[in-house]
Amino acid sequence: MAERTLEDIVQDAVARARKAGAQEVFATTSRRRQVELQRRDGATERLIESTSRSLSVQLYVDGRYSSQSTTDLRPEALDGFLADAVALTRALQPDPNRQITDPALYPKQLAAIELADPALLAGLDAATREAWVVEMEGAARGHDRVISVSSNVSFDASRSACATSNGFVGASAATGIYPSVEVTLRDEGDKRAADGDWFGARFAADLPTARHIGERALRMTVARLGAKKVSSRRTTLVVDPQAAGHLVGRLLATATAASIQQGRSFVANRIGQSIASARLTVLDDPLLPRGLGSRPFDGEGIAARAMPIVEQGVLRNVYVDTYYGRKAQLAVTTGSPSNRIVTLGDKDRDSFLRDVGEAILVTSWMGGNSDANTGDFSFGLRGHLVENGVVGAPVGEMNVTGNLLELFANLVGVGNDPWRASSLVAPTLVFEGVQFSGV
Amino acid sequence: MSSRRRFLQGTAAGLATLSLPGWLASPARAGTIGLEAGPGAGGPPPWPTWFGVDEAGLAVLLRELGKNGASFADVFLQRTRSVSIGLEDGIVASASASIDQGAGLRTVRGDQQGYAFTEELTPEAMRGAAATAATIARGKRLRTPVAFTLAAKGPPLYELPVPWGQVGVDQRLPILRQVESFARALDPSITKVSVNWTDNEEWVVIATLDGKLHTDVRPMTRLWCIVTATRNGQTVSNSANLSGRRGIEWYDEANLRQLARDAVDRTMVLFDARRPPAGEMPVILAAGASGILLHEAIGHGLEADFNRTGTSIYSDMVGKAIAAPFVNIIDSGVEPNTRGSISFDDEGNPTESTRLVEGGVLRGYLHDQISAQHYKVKPTGSGRRQSYRFQPLPRMRATFMENGPHTREEIVSSVKNGIIAETFTNGVVQIGAGDFTFYIKNGWLVEDGKVTAPIKDVNIIGNGPEALQRVTMAANDSKLDIGGWTCGKDGQGVPVSQGLPTVLVSSMTVGGVNG
Repeated sequence: MAERTLEDIVQDAVARARKAGAQEVFATTSRRRQVELQRRDGATERLIESTSRSLSVQLYVDGRYSSQSTTDLRPEALDGFLADAVALTRALQPDPNRQITDPALYPKQLAAIELADPALLAGLDAATREAWVVEMEGAARGHDRVISVSSNVSFDASRSACATSNGFVGASAATGIYPSVEVTLRDEGDKRAADGDWFGARFAADLPTARHIGERALRMTVARLGAKKVSSRRTTLVVDPQAAGHLVGRLLATATAASIQQGRSFVANRIGQSIASARLTVLDDPLLPRGLGSRPFDGEGIAARAMPIVEQGVLRNVYVDTYYGRKAQLAVTTGSPSNRIVTLGDKDRDSFLRDVGEAILVTSWMGGNSDANTGDFSFGLRGHLVENGVVGAPVGEMNVTGNLLELFANLVGVGNDPWRASSLVAPTLVFEGVQFSGV
Repeated sequence: MSSRRRFLQGTAAGLATLSLPGWLASPARAGTIGLEAGPGAGGPPPWPTWFGVDEAGLAVLLRELGKNGASFADVFLQRTRSVSIGLEDGIVASASASIDQGAGLRTVRGDQQGYAFTEELTPEAMRGAAATAATIARGKRLRTPVAFTLAAKGPPLYELPVPWGQVGVDQRLPILRQVESFARALDPSITKVSVNWTDNEEWVVIATLDGKLHTDVRPMTRLWCIVTATRNGQTVSNSANLSGRRGIEWYDEANLRQLARDAVDRTMVLFDARRPPAGEMPVILAAGASGILLHEAIGHGLEADFNRTGTSIYSDMVGKAIAAPFVNIIDSGVEPNTRGSISFDDEGNPTESTRLVEGGVLRGYLHDQISAQHYKVKPTGSGRRQSYRFQPLPRMRATFMENGPHTREEIVSSVKNGIIAETFTNGVVQIGAGDFTFYIKNGWLVEDGKVTAPIKDVNIIGNGPEALQRVTMAANDSKLDIGGWTCGKDGQGVPVSQGLPTVLVSSMTVGGVNG
């Protein structure tokens, strides 16, 4: 069993599922090795290691559909699992819109996009991970108010394969490494100021140094000391690159055929129309080398290709999978985002702050939500007052409220300073006339 | 928390979250954690057949876990079968099913943990994982048990008349159709109804160094109705859901009608709802789901891991008065059939009803095994984990406030200008600073002591200890919510419940809109 390749496993699953009664099958399997080391205040707090595996199949049986997964890959367990799966599928109602991926959409050949660091595929040795957490912690401890510092590094290396009953077999390998530091400082009264820094990359060589992450974590936390409530106001919102992706993600959250077809999308009638000021351009690029969201094909096997989502404020494409494409009568693109990359402007955050003079700078979000039909949102924030163009006192207990379409219509600045440890790569964003709630 | 998990969730440092299904994901996608087929008639077979691991096998694993010494160690075996079914556009045409089984092996030395898991339940794979976990310790081999005593169970909290494994798919499908038809009949402006179903059954075996063996069968189900309606060109949508450690008999006509009515009412009211003003104002929390206040404002802050490391705002407050004398807050694992019910926790400790605040005074923390040893107290049975893939952490179960001395009418009539918060989608807390938020989907304006207009889509932000001090009234109508709440901490989601009587918080910051 251990000698079988992943391709063998999925092709065998396809054959067994067909024998069990499925006409079409899409099978996926993966093996993932993960290690996580966490250190707190001078000692190892936890070490977690695993090698995990799973198999999932999507079955098309007599015009009906279901998806199934299992971690019990013993060949003797598989036939029973698939028999049950086919029986469950047969109990459902037929749905003519459920069709396996059009074979014309499968990749002819797989793009080389550097998803796996050869060094990480071999593992992350104990000395290297220990060095990461020790150095990050050391760099973050340099303050007399430190109560606790925890530092963490985790890595994963996975291989996956898929096979379908209509001719596609694909495989890929991927790695990732994710260092982080959390710092807690004694603040006024019983309050603690807590913050941190973290990063993620597919290749170890693309990470900042451990010292850089530790020092930035401490700097971010020191900046939170003495956070105060300030008055409600309408003013300029400047969003730090690390927090900006969240807003873009919310703007695009319902730009899917599924949301549109289900009547729960505030951009439903805006394909080809403006959803933001002309400063916003967003490209979905699954082929970005080493990108955290890069992939040679999507979850349905559809070949990766770059797709403009927003061009100069105009919504150009939405995410359309095979099922909802048929239901909504939209051409299939891909069902889910890969890397979403905001086209950069020509200034950095501090230049914007100098230009605007007065603003609220948001460094991270705290909860909140938005309405799928209207785009109405209300988010908690953590950030700083900006006065006379410089970052001032930290603010706490503040909400920002509005409507995503109105907010993005008032997008007046896009930075040149993207934060890259995300599949949604965004720089500083500046919005005018935003409602904040405080005292 | 693990930065990789944080990366996947996009959350910032030191945050813990609470959410309902679907509200933080793409709205039209049902959950796909899924599964099928049961163990056959007569309920689960004897435990040694669940994983092909018997007492001798467990003894080998514990021997490996203790080979370098340990404060304690455990073997956690789990098999979860789940089934999800979706009704959309009038047909029940999607389902997913899953079998998720594996073994988690842990060696603990003081407050240091070595943890490994494997889905391959062969003696070699599990022993290899145990050897990995044992590397955390560097001492002498422990004497480990060779035989086990099956731990006595408390009163049954979620035994089902018919286990999920014996319920055919054909019995589930009519329930989804019924909810749809009840909902559609309630208003002609409804354009879409979707209904999502999940049930699962989890078999757990825990073996510990003291030779105790625990087995449990834990059911869970959730039914979720989403309604979309259009009137005069305006489209609105909202949802309601029910969840608990329940069986199919729970879905009787009354419960299904209520679910449909809640989903429709919460949707239709949005046509007329608006944003309240921005700023600080009195907030009335409606009985039930408003227990989200307790979860965020105090519950997480009392999880002992944050106090053991000094990182909670509550770290130095035990024994102090933190709220009015009528405030009594409990976190209980023994309320029957709730999402937070557990016969014993995921470390094998008996669960209990833990009094967190009594007469306004902070009594203590929620402990797992590590923190109980750290503080030299009895564990509170709060060590929970998402699955065999995770190490246990101190977690909430069902968190609620007992009745207070006031009535809802007294509370509403006392407010000049404020809001009532009624339904919620999600909340979050910053453990160290104590700042928390929760998002109100539906609520009401209160003007001159009267409920006037519906409101929607506002985030509330406050500070835990301050908000508790500002609880100035609590009514006599406490109830547990039956929504499908999942609490997120350190990348792990566990099912929880919450409850509250109608409560007045004299001032919190409301994320409204002025002018």
